[in-house]
Amino acid sequence: MRERGFTLIEVLVALVILTIVVTTSLAVFTERTRRLQQATETILAYQSLSNEAEIRRRIDFQQLDTASTTFISDTKILGPLTPYQTYVTVEDEAPDLKNVTMVIRWRGGQRSARLALTRADTGGSNLW
Amino acid sequence: MEVVVSLALFGIFIFIIAQLTAQMFGYERRLPVNFMSHPQVGAVLSRLRRDVFDSTSYPDNFEIYTQTPQTLILDVVLPTGYQETVVWDFKTKGEAHRKAFSVGNMTSDWIARGVPDFSIKDFEIEEHPDSVRVQAIDSKGRLSVDQIYQPRRHGQT
Repeated sequence: MRERGFTLIEVLVALVILTIVVTTSLAVFTERTRRLQQATETILAYQSLSNEAEIRRRIDFQQLDTASTTFISDTKILGPLTPYQTYVTVEDEAPDLKNVTMVIRWRGGQRSARLALTRADTGGSNLW
Repeated sequence: MEVVVSLALFGIFIFIIAQLTAQMFGYERRLPVNFMSHPQVGAVLSRLRRDVFDSTSYPDNFEIYTQTPQTLILDVVLPTGYQETVVWDFKTKGEAHRKAFSVGNMTSDWIARGVPDFSIKDFEIEEHPDSVRVQAIDSKGRLSVDQIYQPRRHGQT
């Protein structure tokens, strides 16, 4: 007498569907965590970049080339990204224009954030 | 046998979920305030940055307010050319208040809630003490905001 139950095909189809659902859920979960972490890291990095830009925009124009090639500003905010490296390069665009590029690299160089600033030789430095 | 296999599969699934959850909480412990889920933090920073950019002076006092690490008073120039006084008040825990005054009358009162504890101090760049440094500490004591803002030129040379 034949017993009632599922055939092998039905069980396999059910397993395939279950596997797809579980795999997709895990992938979405992992990707969400990864992207959220990347977004937070990027926000921290850009805070530090904008701080450095504020300082570099105030350094005397003639001293830009001789200023440090790493960040002058306090980088305490980058603590969660440790170990990280900071770089600053200055290039002449024109006789009275310089491009200042600031870069932060972390995760062994796999991730980076960059901010560029163009400085013009305007003479004085008083804002008010 | 079927029950054992089912439980084993379920156990593996639960183990993976537990691992991923632990990993997620690990990230949250290591990284400060998650700005993606706290848009008001970004709103405070962008409005404060704009106010400092547009500032012309930092009065020591204004009405009942005095400059402190939790209070920033600025005279700002508006796009219309008129001037108003803006008071940033961070004295209430978890809140940021921005009050704008024109000719002694309050013209706006904006409040952000659910923000970390902000503090403000003078910041000197290249011997120019006209910048401010804004910092915020989250509920777990971690530095989540550290920003330097300096005013922009307003047409003078």
